[in-house]
Amino acid sequence: MKIIGLNDQEVEAALRSAGLGLSVSEARSIAEVLGRDPTVPELFNYDTMWSEHCSYKSSRATLNEFLHTTGPNVVQGPEEDAGIVAIDDEWCVVIAHESHNHPSQILPNEGAATGIGGIVRDVNCMGAKVVATADPLRFGDPYGEDKNHVRWVAEGVVDGIWQYGNALGVPIIAGDVVFDDSFDTNCLVNVVAIGVVKRGEIIKSRAPAGAGEKGYDVIVIGKPTDSSGFGGVTFASEELREEDEEANRGAIQIPDPFLKNVLFKANEALFQLTRQEGITIGFKDLGGGGFTCASSEMGASAGYGMDLDLDKLHKASENLPPEVVACAETQERFMLICPPELTPRVLEIYNEDWDLPNVYEGARASVVGKVTTNGRYITRYRGKVTCDVSIEHLTKGIRYAREERPRKTSLSEPVITAPDDLTDALLKVLASPNVSSREHIYRYYDTEVQGNSVIRPGEADAGLIAPVRGEKFGIALSVDANPFYGRISPYWAGATAVAEAMRNVAAIGAYPATLTDCLNFGNPEKPEAFWEFRECVKGLADAAKALWLKGYEDTPVPIVSGNVSFYNESPDGTVDPSPIIACVGLIDDVRDAVTMNLKKAGDSIYLIGPRFDELGGSEYYRTVYGVTGKNVPEVRFELERNMIYAVIDSIARKLVVSTHDISNGGLGATAAEMALAGKGDLGMELALDSAGSDLSADRLVFSESSGFLLECKEEAEEELEKLLKGYGLDIMCLGKVAESPELVMTHKGKTVLRMDLETAKKAWTGGLAEAMR
Amino acid sequence: MKINLRVWLKIPDAEAATVKNTLRRRMGYEAVLADLGKERLWSIEVDDDVRDPMDLARRLARELVNENKESYIATVDTIEFEEGYVPVKVGLHIEDGEAVSALNRLRNRLGFDMVRGVERSVVWKLALKSERPEKAAEEIAERLLINPHKDFYEIMT
Amino acid sequence: MKIAVVQFPGTNCEHETLVAARSAGLSGEIFRWNRPAEELSDFDGYIIPGGFSYQDRLRAGAIASKEPVMEALREEAELGKPIIGICNGFQILVESGLLPGLDGVNVALAQNVMVSKGEIVRRGFYCAWTTLRHESPPKRCSGSFLLEKGDLIRMPLAHAEGNLVTADERLMDRLNEENQVVFRYCSEQGEVDDEFPVNINGSLENIAGICNPEGNVLGMMPHPERSSFAFQLPPTDARKCVGDMGAAGPGRRVFESMKRYIEVRR
Repeated sequence: MKIIGLNDQEVEAALRSAGLGLSVSEARSIAEVLGRDPTVPELFNYDTMWSEHCSYKSSRATLNEFLHTTGPNVVQGPEEDAGIVAIDDEWCVVIAHESHNHPSQILPNEGAATGIGGIVRDVNCMGAKVVATADPLRFGDPYGEDKNHVRWVAEGVVDGIWQYGNALGVPIIAGDVVFDDSFDTNCLVNVVAIGVVKRGEIIKSRAPAGAGEKGYDVIVIGKPTDSSGFGGVTFASEELREEDEEANRGAIQIPDPFLKNVLFKANEALFQLTRQEGITIGFKDLGGGGFTCASSEMGASAGYGMDLDLDKLHKASENLPPEVVACAETQERFMLICPPELTPRVLEIYNEDWDLPNVYEGARASVVGKVTTNGRYITRYRGKVTCDVSIEHLTKGIRYAREERPRKTSLSEPVITAPDDLTDALLKVLASPNVSSREHIYRYYDTEVQGNSVIRPGEADAGLIAPVRGEKFGIALSVDANPFYGRISPYWAGATAVAEAMRNVAAIGAYPATLTDCLNFGNPEKPEAFWEFRECVKGLADAAKALWLKGYEDTPVPIVSGNVSFYNESPDGTVDPSPIIACVGLIDDVRDAVTMNLKKAGDSIYLIGPRFDELGGSEYYRTVYGVTGKNVPEVRFELERNMIYAVIDSIARKLVVSTHDISNGGLGATAAEMALAGKGDLGMELALDSAGSDLSADRLVFSESSGFLLECKEEAEEELEKLLKGYGLDIMCLGKVAESPELVMTHKGKTVLRMDLETAKKAWTGGLAEAMR
Repeated sequence: MKINLRVWLKIPDAEAATVKNTLRRRMGYEAVLADLGKERLWSIEVDDDVRDPMDLARRLARELVNENKESYIATVDTIEFEEGYVPVKVGLHIEDGEAVSALNRLRNRLGFDMVRGVERSVVWKLALKSERPEKAAEEIAERLLINPHKDFYEIMT
Repeated sequence: MKIAVVQFPGTNCEHETLVAARSAGLSGEIFRWNRPAEELSDFDGYIIPGGFSYQDRLRAGAIASKEPVMEALREEAELGKPIIGICNGFQILVESGLLPGLDGVNVALAQNVMVSKGEIVRRGFYCAWTTLRHESPPKRCSGSFLLEKGDLIRMPLAHAEGNLVTADERLMDRLNEENQVVFRYCSEQGEVDDEFPVNINGSLENIAGICNPEGNVLGMMPHPERSSFAFQLPPTDARKCVGDMGAAGPGRRVFESMKRYIEVRR
């Protein structure tokens, strides 16, 4: 394509008519480095590799500035497809976390399914067995102007997730769903996958040492390449406009869990073979950026070049142009680099033992080229060289320094007169689509497959699995972010998301071992959106740093994987800042974990975490009064750390029998959920005077300041109090588990809330189903 | 008045490929079954006084057809198939929960008050090399395409 | 005693099923669908585990039922060897005519329809714990050989098509008379109620599992392998996490029954 000698308007016109997203200056810099006009396939390769999605060109500097990605337990930081932390001397947990927002807005079912499909590949290609997934979801207002479309998106996304995840055979053990009008035209579909692998059996996503010198084979495995997803990464890096929807639909990938299920089993056979033979391979999934991204990164990260023949790649059609073959995002594909002597056995595993060609028409494993030592990224097609560029220049990407400017908001605290009786207010909060039981959704998910599930959705603040039979250790998983806090303060939204995700795993007795972040924001070319992004990153980094890894003072909980999703905006507005955090917790023995359902009448209920006047963004303000407010919950780092580790210790010492963290809906919702999570036959009688604060009753009940409610084991009160004091925490015994199915709260000698659990259950279980009907 | 939407996949139809593969490789129809295609069929009963049924068909298709991966043809009252294959319609004779909820969604959530009923079926298009293609199609339907305890079939020509 | 856990493309419960069978004292291996089918005769019993064989294309179980390996299993069934189909395995056994085994295909497992007070309240895939009441006399069926009539066992289910229907009006009488109804969905107290959530998928007469006339072939929608260890139980169950990691959950009785059935048959 002619670039050299043309003026800026001419270059711009040429790029756009070819369907490229590259800027004029980017195209010129490529021509300059090449010393000639680039070919069309070369430009598409650069377009892919330099996209926001593949290169993090706007975000990289900020992430490097703030995030802590190393730590004593880190085996693999964020540089590959998934991060890895140690469980013990033998086993490791692998985690990856991504967004699939734009595709899910356009085609909810396929978009969300592809999200799950991509994230499990990221984990599997590290040599790991994928053992669980989680799905943080954000949808628009189900009762607002766009309600029909919002519900269509929500239903399609949930269907896509279960249809893919259930068929694949990986349990969905955690997730959250928030409805907020800022997502009316931009839903968020984040996906998290975790796997387990032995430390000595991790497979890298790069060409192994010696691959170039010995001319290792490059093999593509899986679905035949078609044009689906062509332009996908560029699409994920631009704002959605309604008139583009039709055009963007072509960028959606088509997932196939059935083929994936068989591929995973064949991969396992491959991994076993390489272990047996002691051969090191490179293995990577083909995700965003397709063939180009996987092959160039695998070569470049080992300092090698690549010489690839696109004719040898199995394709669904022979009529595809070279740039489509290279950059399409056809799903269910992997790339393998192995010594040539292993190749015949690899082909046998995929093409015969696991019979890919009969499982899916046209699927197979094909040798497509060699690793080289010349540092060039070369592709050939129909006898011609279609691309010959420096592999380092192609993969290094570019960086942009974006401007930031605080977003101006005019939020204030409302003046409200609370009713004397708070029962109706709590019922409203419990029925809110954001607080009510998530059962309507998680019953679609196979939470039991693999037989490892110990704690499932709805039973506690985090899911828990015992992923290796014969071992006692467990992996806990939770996700969190509150967009309403993000609207008020991106910094505190970031910090709170980390603190809550950690509280969630602590609430079952697991210690937070690692975090991942999926950062969902608007257009970074707009200074306000970029400011929100930086504030969130600062907040979450500060929290990860201040809350410490268990057993190590002043050591941050490492962030080993993550993803940045910009351009979540449309002409109607941008999404509320959404730094979605996942936390992996570890517990030595799954049998010690506790759930949130009340266990026994007469047990004492303790509050941890004093209540503050922090109702900004709260469910109470929004649901009962229709206002956002301003006093967003802050994270008091030292207090938070003490609370988290006090809870973990009290569970380890078997002093508490149930726990639940305080978040959306405040202490009132927390207490109600503990009563409703079990059989609904046990209630609570709580005196708010002991909540350690002179706030009014409604603020005590609904403030979303962080904390926990604990049910103390019979006759362990003294020991628990001693433990809490040891952490410098106030002792706040609010009352007891009651035999009657009723939640009662008193304040200053008056009953301020009396709610029978039957009524509460109706409100709590109906809210989400109603919103998604 | 009945609006018929014949809907087919623009992308490869993995289900049709599997059914074809099973018939040819596992059930002895290698020589008989030349090809097999699949369509979804929505038959939507609407009020007789609808003025512009084709426009209504287009609006219904927006809700029932996923245009990223599917195409459709709409017809009113009639339904015709091309030459070269035997169309076998397969539907449920037990209550079709999906059709019931499609009807509820169209009427109650999306405001299509003129919709009276929704039927959903699959049309298998069997290209057969046989002296008596309809007989062969019946056999294939009974041996594989239906479970008689929930499905019915109908040769459409 | 060696069993084969038969794996189709799309099966996804083979590993935990084998683990559960081993916990009951059986030995065995996973048997890939495209292995020579005659090798199946080396085994003493068979389990067809859950999953989505062929992605439930056409109908759950329909495509897998035409695989050569199913023809071989039919021959083994005629020899009286035990076969247990769980979830998708049950669907495959129905589509292949092995269950209820009265010549041809006698029932269908249709899409779940949850009905309460005459209204459809939900449809399709559902994952939850349920209680099964054992309906047949002891020793009637391979997979419930050790259970007494009326025994209650808890286990989870997770499927989209488990709603047993039939167009044969006399079939239910026959199944009941011949004690071919092995498990019904019931409340935790053991009451059979035909309303959701007790009748969790709309199945005729709350049927959760049936056997063939000879009793050696059992199909059930719920997953005993997901209830074979105490740690797998829900938190409201007092038996959860009691004992060591290998401690039995209620579902293990199904595999123990299979083992006993093989022993007795010898």
